[in-house]
Amino acid sequence: MTVKVEKIEGGTPHDTIMVAGLLASLVCIYLGAALNSMAGTQVFAFFGGLAAVAAIVWGSDTIKGLCSYGIGTGVPSVGMISLGSGVVAFLIATRFSWYYAPIVLVIAAVIIGAIIGYMANDVIMMKIPVMRRAMTEVAVVGGLMLMGFAQMTTGSYALLDLSATKTGPLGLLSAGFAGSFIGAAIIAVAFILGAIAVQHPFNACLGPSWKQDRMIMLAAECGFLSMLPVAFMSIAYLTVPAVVVSIIISAAGWLYTYNQYICLSKRDAAMWLDAKPIKEPEGH
Amino acid sequence: MTVTPKPTGGVGMNPMANALSIILVIAILGAAWILFGGYALVFKALVAVILGGVLIGFGVHFVPVGGAPAAMGQAPGIATGVAMLAAGAGLAGLFGGAFAVNSDLGLVTSIVAGGIGGALLMAVTCLFVVLVYTYGMGIPSASGKVKVDPITGDSQAEYKSQGTEGHGLPFSSFVGGVIGGFLGGLGGTLIYYALLKVYEDKLPALLSAPVAGAVLPVAISLAGIFAVGIFLVNAVLAAYNITGTTEGFHDPKFSRFPRAIVAALAASAACGFVAILVAAM
Repeated sequence: MTVKVEKIEGGTPHDTIMVAGLLASLVCIYLGAALNSMAGTQVFAFFGGLAAVAAIVWGSDTIKGLCSYGIGTGVPSVGMISLGSGVVAFLIATRFSWYYAPIVLVIAAVIIGAIIGYMANDVIMMKIPVMRRAMTEVAVVGGLMLMGFAQMTTGSYALLDLSATKTGPLGLLSAGFAGSFIGAAIIAVAFILGAIAVQHPFNACLGPSWKQDRMIMLAAECGFLSMLPVAFMSIAYLTVPAVVVSIIISAAGWLYTYNQYICLSKRDAAMWLDAKPIKEPEGH
Repeated sequence: MTVTPKPTGGVGMNPMANALSIILVIAILGAAWILFGGYALVFKALVAVILGGVLIGFGVHFVPVGGAPAAMGQAPGIATGVAMLAAGAGLAGLFGGAFAVNSDLGLVTSIVAGGIGGALLMAVTCLFVVLVYTYGMGIPSASGKVKVDPITGDSQAEYKSQGTEGHGLPFSSFVGGVIGGFLGGLGGTLIYYALLKVYEDKLPALLSAPVAGAVLPVAISLAGIFAVGIFLVNAVLAAYNITGTTEGFHDPKFSRFPRAIVAALAASAACGFVAILVAAM
């Protein structure tokens, strides 16, 4: 008899992480949009990146719950289906005004994810207890990640702003449709950054010594690391102060979480050897 | 510790779930018919997206996926997961097809160009997989699922090592990979073509563009990202249907494909409807 590969004992319950991740992500997106429009700046665009980090943390815990059952196709496939269904929900949400869009995204992603989950669990007969719920959750996660990255890149998540540019501060782009977030296919970069970031934490941490806090720290690290290229891409769309703030926050967050992750890895490791580069023997 | 049986993925079908899925597809098609004025561009595009999704879901079943056991020479196939292989073949096909679409070569030439792009990628991959297995790792090609190769008629059992499920990349798996790549590329390009036509038609008014051609980058990029998204959804659903490794069309797991087709129908109908709604709403 085959048994579940991983045990789900200890750590924060998944429901708590789900609610916290969803709320944190939505709050960050709204905060970024509201502060930007109230203060009339773009400096708060980095909140989009933080929303993506929250979504990645939630998504990595969902993937852990699903992939514990041994789906047979590898963990990365969940990351791919997450963004594949999330991008559809994200782009329909961009049609709505900024205060409805995140809610529309969640509702659309829940519908699409539930259909995909039903297909995977009942039509394809995977018969995994958490399958339907996990597919629904990863669709929402994928959509929130894309919305966060879109907000961080352009300071907005409305379809009109994402498909037509204002000229950037360094004059890198000619204004128009071709240089926009969608027109220049920066959405494809955001897509694959999110897909890799959400599947990597569990893929890297799975095994008998899996610890939830270590995986979540790696998820946050992946999120901040993905924020860095997004911050660099925002050079084309945002004002100089906004870009600088974004880069500083991503770099600081990444350095902190990476450091913490190394500490947690040392804590969980049986032995830690600080290996030095192999010295070439002299005289040959 | 929770003890749960691993999903085995039997051959049977769930009649209730299948019926519900078909009803869902019909409901979505009916909604598109009513909302967008009958047999018009949008309805045709939705049908093309669904057809493309089904081609992808079917095509993935041909691809010989070995996974980690293949990397250790204990199972036949290409040593990576279904999602990666399907994405590679599909995206290569999509690039080829998109190039043909944007050169105005017409529907048939475009989607066949996409199919050939996917088939070419799988052929090159399979060729180098065979070279690495044979000359790099010293593994002969032998199927573990059939006694004789269904195409060449070569006997397999003598070359199979004991305790393995076969190894290397048998000829039938090679051919299966090329067919799978062709179908995947065909489906991906069909989705791209259908969505591009909708966006080219609807986006200029939506974005209030000065001239219709100005929104072409946005239309291409939107159609491309949706094609990638719908491709990945269908490929991963088909991969779940295979659960792990397969040898290609001569593998017993191939007979499961009707389930993946039903799943692809409903999943691409839902995703395609929303994707079209982005511009047509």
